[in-house]
Amino acid sequence: MAQLQSYDIRSIDEAEVLRYMGYSGQKYSPELEGRIRQTMQECLDVSQPRGLVQVFEVAGRGTSADGRPEVRLEGTALTLVGDSMREHMDGAVAVGVLAVTLGMANERMLKRLSLTDHIRQVIFDAASTTLVERAADAAEASIVRQAADRGLFTNFRFSPGYGDMPMQTQPVLLQTLDAQRRLGITLTPTLLMTPTKSVTAVVGMFHERQPSTHGSCKGCPCFDFCTIRPTGRTCRG
Amino acid sequence: MASTKDPFVRPKPMFGTYDHRKLRVKDQHLADALAGRAFLRFDGAMGTQLQERGMQAGELPELLCLTNPDEIAQIHAAYVQAGAEVVTTNTFGANRAKLATAGDDAPTVDQVFQAAIACAKAAHPRYVAADIGPTGSLLQPMGTLPFETAYDLFAEQAIAATRAGADLFVIETMADLAEIKAAVLACKENSDLPIFCTMTFGEDGRTFLGTTPEVAAVTLSALGADVLGINCSLGPADVAPLVERMLPWSRVPVMAQANAGLPSVVDGVTVYDIKAPEFVDAVQGMVDAGVSVVGGCCGTAPDYIAGEKDMLARKAGPAPRKVRDDFVVASSQQLCVLRPGDVGVIGERINPTGKKKMKEALRSGSYDYIMGLAIEQTRAGAQVLDVNAGLPEVDETQVLLKIMADLQGVTSLPLQVDSAVPQTIEAAVRSYPGKPIINSTNGKQETLDAVVPIAAHYGCALVGLTIDEAGIPTTARGRLDIARKIVQRTDEWGIPRQDVIIDCLAMAASTDQRAPRAILDGIRLVKRELPGVRTVLGVSNISFGLPFRPLVNATFLAAAFSAGLDLAIINPAQQRMMDVVNSWRVLSGEDQSAQRYVADYVNRSDKAPAAAAPVNGAAASGAAAAPGPASGQQAESSDPVERTKQLVLAGRKGPIPDLVQTIVADHGVMFCINDVLIPALDEVGRRFEKGTFFLPQLMASAEAAKAGFNRLKELNGDAADVPSKGKVAICTVKGDIHDIGKNIVKMLLENYGYDVVDLGRDVEPQVVVDAVVRDHIKLVGLSALMTATVPAMSDTIQLLHEQAPWAKVMVGGAVLNPEYAQMVGADFYAKDANESARIAGEVLG
Repeated sequence: MAQLQSYDIRSIDEAEVLRYMGYSGQKYSPELEGRIRQTMQECLDVSQPRGLVQVFEVAGRGTSADGRPEVRLEGTALTLVGDSMREHMDGAVAVGVLAVTLGMANERMLKRLSLTDHIRQVIFDAASTTLVERAADAAEASIVRQAADRGLFTNFRFSPGYGDMPMQTQPVLLQTLDAQRRLGITLTPTLLMTPTKSVTAVVGMFHERQPSTHGSCKGCPCFDFCTIRPTGRTCRG
Repeated sequence: MASTKDPFVRPKPMFGTYDHRKLRVKDQHLADALAGRAFLRFDGAMGTQLQERGMQAGELPELLCLTNPDEIAQIHAAYVQAGAEVVTTNTFGANRAKLATAGDDAPTVDQVFQAAIACAKAAHPRYVAADIGPTGSLLQPMGTLPFETAYDLFAEQAIAATRAGADLFVIETMADLAEIKAAVLACKENSDLPIFCTMTFGEDGRTFLGTTPEVAAVTLSALGADVLGINCSLGPADVAPLVERMLPWSRVPVMAQANAGLPSVVDGVTVYDIKAPEFVDAVQGMVDAGVSVVGGCCGTAPDYIAGEKDMLARKAGPAPRKVRDDFVVASSQQLCVLRPGDVGVIGERINPTGKKKMKEALRSGSYDYIMGLAIEQTRAGAQVLDVNAGLPEVDETQVLLKIMADLQGVTSLPLQVDSAVPQTIEAAVRSYPGKPIINSTNGKQETLDAVVPIAAHYGCALVGLTIDEAGIPTTARGRLDIARKIVQRTDEWGIPRQDVIIDCLAMAASTDQRAPRAILDGIRLVKRELPGVRTVLGVSNISFGLPFRPLVNATFLAAAFSAGLDLAIINPAQQRMMDVVNSWRVLSGEDQSAQRYVADYVNRSDKAPAAAAPVNGAAASGAAAAPGPASGQQAESSDPVERTKQLVLAGRKGPIPDLVQTIVADHGVMFCINDVLIPALDEVGRRFEKGTFFLPQLMASAEAAKAGFNRLKELNGDAADVPSKGKVAICTVKGDIHDIGKNIVKMLLENYGYDVVDLGRDVEPQVVVDAVVRDHIKLVGLSALMTATVPAMSDTIQLLHEQAPWAKVMVGGAVLNPEYAQMVGADFYAKDANESARIAGEVLG
């Protein structure tokens, strides 16, 4: 059963929020700055970043009924289909599966702002995107930790909808983690998640160090959530 | 019906055909349990039992009923042996939508229920409960699943389960009040079996969608659930306080099926931290508090159920409990409770009668103004909002549904559905997540026949007007007679007295000075002669034809409270009326120790009485009392024209309306538009294009300009002097729920003087075309953020080309580029909002 996690995130990276809004060094008024900061704070106040994480062993590789490459996992109906997954999981011995969400209160605020205040909607949306990616960093950090405990190395998280990883992965992935019951994540008929500020992804675990492994802890997105470093080791071995 | 893969045929609309509900109850023991006279024991977990037996994560467990029936039957049998009277079928996700994910050879809903109920019966339980879980999609308005589609999914399950021989339904693990409402209605309208239903709550005491245990209990017991409660969620110690919050509000027995605590993974095996003895201890606490139906959820096993059986065997029977008879209505988020003697405020402003701006909003389909009214009334102290969309030229039902859906996004107050048309009332209350008030029925036979059954069927509070075929009686006795007739009918339909609210109807004192006394005496008589019934009054009619009406209204309101009025329909933004309400609450003792009054009024005085402002609509705001900031601002700026332009560029809206007023006085409206606001916006656009402005700056400038345009409209009143530059329809296409880009475009276009018809998100191609054809719209903007929804964009454009060939289409959104735009058949590609304004200029001028 997947592990339920709650993330204590107390700040949002303002530079990242600005970047999502297309910022490239423009001068802007203190009023707008105040509005951005206030809205970022509101985002922190209403969001409840939570996640589910579970690791599955790779059971085998093959070709799906329609001729696409697939990576099969042990103990789950989830299979990873397509060339992107073939490459991303090439040599992987296990796969960490994650789903994170900011929760329905965040979604309700987005809805409210879409009806009442479009400027704050844009800011709140950017802040929420930044925050949910942070939550995904935290979930990924726990996968990295589980890998390190087994002497394995991870690559980076990869989400359905990117490359040729099909969106059709979503229902089984969420069902595997029991994410509707435990996180409240639902799917639209077009397989978009609600709450919209949710992320699902898979991370490969390997015997060898990966090119994507960070050379140093500085700049690693998982740094703030890392539980390996305090033990005196790093995920680089 | 051989196969439910055939398109499922929904039962006929129920309108007008409700009958008093007759339940089919299997035996006397179940009847006793439903009456709260006997305990009833459910089983424990299915899912975790299957996992222990090696079921793969992500599989559809329901399919095992067909592939491994013996194993499922064994799990049931173990629970029966342990003492469960009710076993729950393995059909949690057996709805058409979820089964479809199993591929082309997926079994039908009918097949799964047949198999699942056979598995259950093989274990020879006393009762078989057909399990119904959530659809897996989120309902509108937060999600995209229409209420009636969810209803269809559940109805198909209800019919299949009934046909296969279930004894009762258990609807469980629900987080969305709208969804559980759809499920309860689907069972109630398609089967005569008893309905048990439970929701799941988090540590914060709310479901994922924010519903509290009290709201769930109030809404579901009014709706006709036969047993309600909590399942899953948390361990029993944490469920106990939540289920206890349900007990005072549930008119039916309450059930609890907690998890065996929290799961953790030890050596690859999931274990729960609460073992059977501890679990049973906690359940005993709930039973002593009044819970009478028990079982278990995730992590529980037969030994938990055996423990519960032993524990219950030592008890004489369910603990007596007291159900509150307060007046109570609910939104999905909160209750409005009035104990006897309390007074409540219903905000009256969302009603087009005599309100030009409101009519305009209803006609145009642009509801910003209405959302503003809701927010203002919520802030001012309303406890319920009346919603009326009755205007001859609009489709009242459609508009009312849309407004109520949007209102749920901006206020958490319960709503009062205000319509004269029974079909409209039914459509509105059917999908409303919560327990609304219906406004109204009256003493006319025809209206009673039409509206009372709706209130009973959907579990609503109901306003009854004291008017009948002969009109409004002039005397108090006459009003009482009509009230009595109404209450007789609501009694017959089993509507609790406290859900009936009699309106003695205020008449103008200026035409008949005996009227006020007749109304007040009417209230007294109704309260005395029809015990339990509540009263409501829209007070403002009383002052019709008199000068300085607010004073008369306030005086009459105080008198009405004294006569026993429970609910006042007023404009809570009028400070004078809220002053009466707040001070009455001190005099009646409702505001204990006058705490709220003292906090709110300690600094108030009569120096600037509300009366100083004549009735010009923009009446007093209690807090901000600083007079006339306008004059000071003008002095500090040299030239209003330049200053306005600067403010638009700076994105500061505050002083703009007053500046615009000055400019109009000197130069006229057209100058203000063409030589001040538009040039400023053009400069904003240039800066955005050059990259000296980024998105929030562009939007702040648009917002500042809008403040100016709004003042221009106010100044002009009726005169259509502010010319519209034409209509643009915009939406996010079918299947896509991202509306942010669309909203940015809307904001910008509006500020360039275009009328924007905002069709929302996830919009069917035909809906777009219909809107475009209806208003002969020349420009349509479509937005899509996901690759998967680009085909929907293409479909919409094709349909537009066929049915509205005059319309040009611009497209935008993250997945699009000029080539894609061409490929889907668009006339223009808008890379950003600014570009959309330029395109509008090209097409519409």
